[in-house]
Amino acid sequence: MAYSELIKKFNRIREYMREFYVYGFKSREEYNKKSARSYDDERRRIESWLGENMQFRQSAEGKNVFISIDSRISAHNPLYKAWKTKSFTDGDITLHFILLDILSAPEIAMTIQEIMELVDDYISEFDHPRYFDESTVRKKLKEYVNEGILISEKQGKVLYYRRAAEGKLYGTDTLDFFSEAAPCGVVGSYLLDKLPSHEAHFAFKHHYITNAMDSEILLTLFEAMHQKKYISVEAINRHKDKISENYIVPLKIMISVQNGRQYLMAFAPRFKKMIAYRTDNIISVKLAEKCEQFDELRGKLNSMLPHMWGVNTQSVSGKRMEHIEFTVCYEEYEQFIHNRLEREKRCGTVEKISDCESRFSADVYDASELIPWIRTFICRITKLHISNKELEKQFWDDMENMYKLYDLGGADAK
Amino acid sequence: MIFSELYGAYYNAMAKILAKAIEHPLKKGELRSIVDAYAFEESILNIETAIDEERWQLIKKDGTTPIMHVPSMPLTILQKRWLKAITLDPRIKLFEEEISGLDEIEPLFTREDFFIFDKYADGDNFEDAAYIKNFRCILDAIRNKYPLELTTMNRKGNILSMVVMPKWLEYSQKDDKFRLIGVGRKSNDTINLGRIITCEPYTKEYIPKESVKNQESARVVEFELIDERNALERVLLHFAHFKKQAERLEETRYKVTVAYDAEDEIEVLIRILSFGPMVRVIGPDNFVNLIKERLKRQKSCGR
Repeated sequence: MAYSELIKKFNRIREYMREFYVYGFKSREEYNKKSARSYDDERRRIESWLGENMQFRQSAEGKNVFISIDSRISAHNPLYKAWKTKSFTDGDITLHFILLDILSAPEIAMTIQEIMELVDDYISEFDHPRYFDESTVRKKLKEYVNEGILISEKQGKVLYYRRAAEGKLYGTDTLDFFSEAAPCGVVGSYLLDKLPSHEAHFAFKHHYITNAMDSEILLTLFEAMHQKKYISVEAINRHKDKISENYIVPLKIMISVQNGRQYLMAFAPRFKKMIAYRTDNIISVKLAEKCEQFDELRGKLNSMLPHMWGVNTQSVSGKRMEHIEFTVCYEEYEQFIHNRLEREKRCGTVEKISDCESRFSADVYDASELIPWIRTFICRITKLHISNKELEKQFWDDMENMYKLYDLGGADAK
Repeated sequence: MIFSELYGAYYNAMAKILAKAIEHPLKKGELRSIVDAYAFEESILNIETAIDEERWQLIKKDGTTPIMHVPSMPLTILQKRWLKAITLDPRIKLFEEEISGLDEIEPLFTREDFFIFDKYADGDNFEDAAYIKNFRCILDAIRNKYPLELTTMNRKGNILSMVVMPKWLEYSQKDDKFRLIGVGRKSNDTINLGRIITCEPYTKEYIPKESVKNQESARVVEFELIDERNALERVLLHFAHFKKQAERLEETRYKVTVAYDAEDEIEVLIRILSFGPMVRVIGPDNFVNLIKERLKRQKSCGR
């Protein structure tokens, strides 16, 4: 098929954009598992959509393509552009503007026959008119009724179509902000496209923009939760390069604003437990039948949250719950360290045990999830106790390795 | 459906093209500049050809159009449902006085459907009346470009008074806070909104002060990464919001360069430390020394 800037399906481009944005060190050859042509086409498309955000570097392995964006200086997520690339037929776009021109105000109501006559009038103005048949127009009208753009109503036995009321848009500041800060923000970006261009008044720090690529998946998951339904979910295990299908109850989306990941928390009847799925690993979601225990399962998950640091609901050790506590020291003028513990803890308790020492403790399903956070206190950690002794040992072994990495000796560290 | 041509750049560009053609017969230059502004780099090849070949029977050879009304499209159900969902967010009160017209609409998501599990606990109080008043006052000054007189409380509890020309508001999802970024003060033009007590338009003659702040705030750190325990994926995603580059050195060894602002140095430092021995900073020397300093102090803590 000839190259086209627009695409029919989103999944393949979703993968490429993720690779270019998050990794960006792979050469063309490494992408060529399927075909070199496919890589060239996707790279060309993304280059056309993202322009200057697309960069190149020549390495020994070949040319590397990557997307480089400082999200702090981008008022609008550039990756949203990918969502505005759906292909369509010549007939689709022609009919779109003609139908909305015929039904230009909510007061105008017409039957399919009346609409057909007027469509022909528009088309007949062209040198080589391409007339539409009635079934095509009827299908398009039905599609627009489903989207909410048009309304259909029966008067007697006759079906009339009219335009829906325009709907109230919020101000540009509202849309600018929530299109970046709310889930499925790309919808806010679509709304902004309806408005004249304007100066942006917001910037975003610690802003992970890759989740935009999972918007369609997220939308379907919200819909399934809304309808309290089971879903059949297809997800990829990237390490094993294996796709599996599971039948689960979607309960909550867990969003990280510190590591850029987004998860679906779901109950898996087959394993009788809560499981977290990364949304960027989900390939497809299909809604199934209603789950009568939905409220009960969501309540169960909510009751587990106070013991979850991240998204894990069980540890490698296999214990139901793990205890973890650590103590940090600081100078009297460094009370902000105590405040950091208070501010950054997601569960557990913080105690001030002296003017210069504070202790954090918690019972969690998986203590290993706290390790990266504890490491941010390196230079102040005086005590660490984890009921999972293997994990505690690994923490100190890692410290030894860090001393060695920076030529600070290892063995005398203890 | 989120992925639909209804929201596509081509439909959007075509709406603008038709609006122009309704005004007067469309010129080639106008077509190109609209496509440049509203679609993508290569779009002109497709859109111009489709119009010229009358495949899209919307613009005639003479640049006129049978379309009579400036194109518009009512909000779709998806758009209304998203708007309804954001009305459930407490931050909406910062922006909108009144929410109406969405009574019958089901929200796309509710606050029960998602949970941000790692944002800090001391975020701004977006529902506080004084905070909302200050927020709106600042936003108005940004829109209309006038200076503000602020009183703030610093970390020590002292009340300070200042005049600043606000430029924009910066929001951090991690901190769950807004900060005012401005100019016209000698130093520190970044002010946490949560610390602002009062905010009024400054009506006297405004003479901005020259900043003594070091303009060279862009910095870079380079580190090597060993891809164990899924470190490659974790690190690259973690630092994804910075401008960065990754390069493979060996099978499981990578070099990563991250650009950051000088004011965020401590934050970047502790974020690198959080990856433990999987990451080793290789430059610049002063950053390596910062890491070493912390490690030495840790050794002196007993372990």
